[in-house]
Amino acid sequence: MTDSLKLKVDRRDGVAVIYTDGYINNQGGEEIAKVAYQLVDEGYKSLLLNLAGTKIVNSIGISILIEIIERMLEVEGRLAFCNLTPTIDKTFHIMGLAQYSSIFPDESSAVEQLS
Amino acid sequence: MTVNAQPWSLLETASDRDWESGTALGRVLDLWCDSLGVRAAAVFVEGRDGWELVQGSRAARFEPVLAGGADLLQLPGRFRLAVDSEQPLRQPPDAPIALLLSAAARLHRLHERLKEQEFAENYKVVTLEAVYDVGLAVASTLDLEQLCEEILLRAVSLLDARRGAFYLADGGSYTLRGTIGGEARPSLPHDDPGMQSLEPGAGTERCGLDLLPGARFPLTVAIAYKGQTKGLLAVADKESRTGVGPFSEADRRALELFATQAAIALENANLHRQALEKERLEREMQLAAEIQRGILPTTMPSTSALEIVGWNRPTRQVGGDYYGSISLDGGALGVVVADVTGKGMPAALLVSTLHSALHLLLEKREPNADLLATLNQHIAESSSSNKFITLILVDVDPLADALGYLNAGHNPGLVIRSDGSVDQLPASGLPLGLLRTASYQYRRVPFVPGDLVCLYSDGITECTSPADEEFGEGRLIEFLRERRTEPLSNIVQELDEAVTRYAAGQPQGDDQTVVLLRRT
Repeated sequence: MTDSLKLKVDRRDGVAVIYTDGYINNQGGEEIAKVAYQLVDEGYKSLLLNLAGTKIVNSIGISILIEIIERMLEVEGRLAFCNLTPTIDKTFHIMGLAQYSSIFPDESSAVEQLS
Repeated sequence: MTVNAQPWSLLETASDRDWESGTALGRVLDLWCDSLGVRAAAVFVEGRDGWELVQGSRAARFEPVLAGGADLLQLPGRFRLAVDSEQPLRQPPDAPIALLLSAAARLHRLHERLKEQEFAENYKVVTLEAVYDVGLAVASTLDLEQLCEEILLRAVSLLDARRGAFYLADGGSYTLRGTIGGEARPSLPHDDPGMQSLEPGAGTERCGLDLLPGARFPLTVAIAYKGQTKGLLAVADKESRTGVGPFSEADRRALELFATQAAIALENANLHRQALEKERLEREMQLAAEIQRGILPTTMPSTSALEIVGWNRPTRQVGGDYYGSISLDGGALGVVVADVTGKGMPAALLVSTLHSALHLLLEKREPNADLLATLNQHIAESSSSNKFITLILVDVDPLADALGYLNAGHNPGLVIRSDGSVDQLPASGLPLGLLRTASYQYRRVPFVPGDLVCLYSDGITECTSPADEEFGEGRLIEFLRERRTEPLSNIVQELDEAVTRYAAGQPQGDDQTVVLLRRT
């Protein structure tokens, strides 16, 4: 498993996709937040987090993701997730992230809805 | 300071969420700044490390935490107001504004605290679900690699650890099987002095094991089952928003819970392996039993001049005893009793080898010492060094009043004469397979009508009583002398019963074989 989270961004028409690779902890969460807020400043209202490369998220990472969701709501945008492991999917539902964001099984269905 | 009332009416449209999130407080600050012409303002509350920012106006450029509080204006309660203006303000806001600011700040902070509590409660559910899911995984899969990874992922994420590693016992050391968040030591010897830090009561202070190099706050627990350490589960550096810190006693207990799950998984996998091995052995035994059933005779050939009865009771499903008959040269009959070392499939295969070799070498031939020596060489070459066979062969010519015998290390055959005297057929050479160059002697003794010959395996004479006393050759001889005129089938059956009574429930330690011959 990678030592720190690696991110890749794909800017598309109407939606920006952030690919994660690694552990979403405090450091990883802050990296995602930094990229997300930058994309918001660029004018993106729809962000998709593709977590195919992530098997583990801790509570600090979750709290940062919640902050990103709140920020998106403030700018009347939305945050979506796709390719979650069953464990992370269950965790997101318990922690309430699913209530204020969208969770998709794969990227294509997510992009189709968000675009 | 008076303010224009009209802009303040905008607050009437603020939603509950605006007040809870601090947005409305920000608007109040904006309106107050506009009314006074100051650049920016922010509300602070006293915290552990200084004055902490609650909310600022739109143009706020205040640090999240202020060390000093001298320039802060008083607000009701524990709140203070910082102002960024060209002219310093000395007076706090009018009472209504001050109260509004304080109340809004208090509402926002209460809401934040509620969110934190809700987060913590939800995370407890996540933890419970994780323990449940790991339990299900332990019960449903024997894939150790998958289970190790699952347990490590859960432990690291739920303890908010920055790093983690999983070790399993492998020979004389614990070997790394998975890692998260950084490098880990590849292995650790079982007797590493740091293992003492895993003893109960060692606490969460610095662990004596340096499994995660560079970790500031390590925590390692043993994966143990019935007092035996089967692996190690290590985490390090508990995260918070401000950095890393040590794990609590509750964290240690949680980690031990996961270690227990891992120990159960390892034991399940071990038991499954043992069950598979047992199943394989049982299949092997069944096969060996089939082989042997095909070799041992169902009946022994009898003629008008010679009665023969054979009997065998293996100690397990398949044994190492062998008996049978071979047609020899000139109408003579050879009768064999043999005992192969060991049990199970290896013994059964050697019995099969012996059976084939005996028939190949002796069928329609006259037995002699050289033939037995040849058999010995064959057995020595076709069996492992720790396998050998004791064997006694008698050959009976129906036209002669004598029998010949060869005895390769077997217990002596018995000849019970009609007058009750006893002769023995002792060994004249080493067991087969023990020494490739062993030699043997062929001997002959009288065998007249009324004589009873008994060939047997040591499973009979070495059968022990509850008092640990052997049945013994003397008891067998006496038994046969008393019954020397009875039908052979009766003698065999009575011997079976006598040995069983003698053992009195003791488990049978060795195969038991008897072959009786009587000249009629």
